[in-house]
Amino acid sequence: MTANILDGIVLGLQFGLLATGLTLVYGLGGVLNLAYGQMAVVSAMVVLFTMEAGVPTLGAVGLGLLAGGLFGLLLDLTVLPSIYRRQGEARVLLSLLVTLGLAFIVDGFFNWRFPLRGLSLRIGGGPIPIFGVPMRRGSLVASAITLAAMGGLLWFFRATITGRAIRSVMEDDEGARLVGIDPRRMLRLILIVTGVLAGLVAVTRSMVAPVTVRAGFEMTVSALIVTVVGGLGSVSGALVAGIILGIINIIAASYIGTFLSLIILLGAAAVTILIRPSGLLGVRE
Amino acid sequence: MLEVRGLTAGYTGGDVVHGISFKVETGEAVMIIGSNGAGKTTVFRAVVGLLAPSAGEVLFEGASIVGMPAHRIARLGISFVPAERRLFPRMTVQENLSLGAYPDSPDSETIELVMDLFPRLAERRRQRAGTMSGGEQQMLAVGRALMARPRLLVLDEPTTGLAPKLAKEAYQALDVLRGRGLTVLVAEQQVPMAMALSDRGYVLENGAISKQGTSAELANVPDVKRAYLGIV
Repeated sequence: MTANILDGIVLGLQFGLLATGLTLVYGLGGVLNLAYGQMAVVSAMVVLFTMEAGVPTLGAVGLGLLAGGLFGLLLDLTVLPSIYRRQGEARVLLSLLVTLGLAFIVDGFFNWRFPLRGLSLRIGGGPIPIFGVPMRRGSLVASAITLAAMGGLLWFFRATITGRAIRSVMEDDEGARLVGIDPRRMLRLILIVTGVLAGLVAVTRSMVAPVTVRAGFEMTVSALIVTVVGGLGSVSGALVAGIILGIINIIAASYIGTFLSLIILLGAAAVTILIRPSGLLGVRE
Repeated sequence: MLEVRGLTAGYTGGDVVHGISFKVETGEAVMIIGSNGAGKTTVFRAVVGLLAPSAGEVLFEGASIVGMPAHRIARLGISFVPAERRLFPRMTVQENLSLGAYPDSPDSETIELVMDLFPRLAERRRQRAGTMSGGEQQMLAVGRALMARPRLLVLDEPTTGLAPKLAKEAYQALDVLRGRGLTVLVAEQQVPMAMALSDRGYVLENGAISKQGTSAELANVPDVKRAYLGIV
């Protein structure tokens, strides 16, 4: 049981980071990015191909994160302007359609050109015991990186002027404009940041299990479920929900079966919506 | 400082204000009075860039600012305090104030000025803006606007939802700011207080300016007396 909980936390941290990327873009621009998992896959493939081309692992990871950020920037420059012209519900719906289309294109391309490829980063060395449970080094390194990234994000939002400006846009778009903040620029920045986050999730995930070209949609769906449970637009909600759902997922997989774990996650989301429609830490409108 | 010429603006349903013109000179306090729905808010939203006017010209210190996005107009030196205040409710008083200075870091001199003006805010630095009373939120909204060290402060009905005593306090603070040479443009339904603050005023009726003059002149116009000052 302890082993399951620890594995659940490892997975949950990644869920949390994944959901953070989705929830930030939604909170800031009312845009639900369904191509989010594909951002992670693109990053993973860049890491894989540059490593095969002889780039050292760390450099390849750097290029992969850069590719994620670039994906975000391109999304902002090409697809978002048309979405951003709509308001409210129309914007959410259009963003769903357009980013889903983009996800199909990216997914289709990779399945066509590189159908069987996947990224696995091996972290050497034997297992390390935590609470008497031998944990794989890959899991521990992945969790440490994820925790550091989350800490960095929280620091950025609390302590920097730009981070506060981004939060202010989430709280009141018009108020932000009145103090001289350009919401459009903040959204561009956050798309780049979430692209890098998607890359980071791909890299850390690949230390635990292979990230294949087909992993995109499952990542998006997991992120979506975690976001709904945590509350749309809430970063701390995404982290808390990520860890809870990570533990539920691993326990469900080990006692019931892997094939049911996604359904159980969906069930958890459904129960949350019934009890608390705005999510665990979401804001009530 | 600010000159508006032939401004026509409104929403998808049609124009609300029709070709109005007014100006605010440096160091002046100017009021725009009118009943609910006369178009005061629409005029202000068009001036500060939250609404694109369908016709007309807005000049700030001689340069046209029509069509400029709100965040750029704010950085030029026009701070707008909307009637709904538009604070950041889940952020602390301190965070709200420091965002007022965006993109710069808040300077201690301006913070001190705001805290002197509204001692209540100093007591509540760490409180979340959304949990404060209406009067305190109004103080914070004005304080946040001042953090940008504006050249022109524009206030839309600063006494909305305030008890008479708090409304009076709000106007006392504005009077202090005037004394320091700040240029102020205010829209009001609470005409007596705005009149005591302002040098000049405009009466807005059905989206057009029906009367204008110094505050003393307006106070003697029979229609204004009856409609806005409650004197028969």
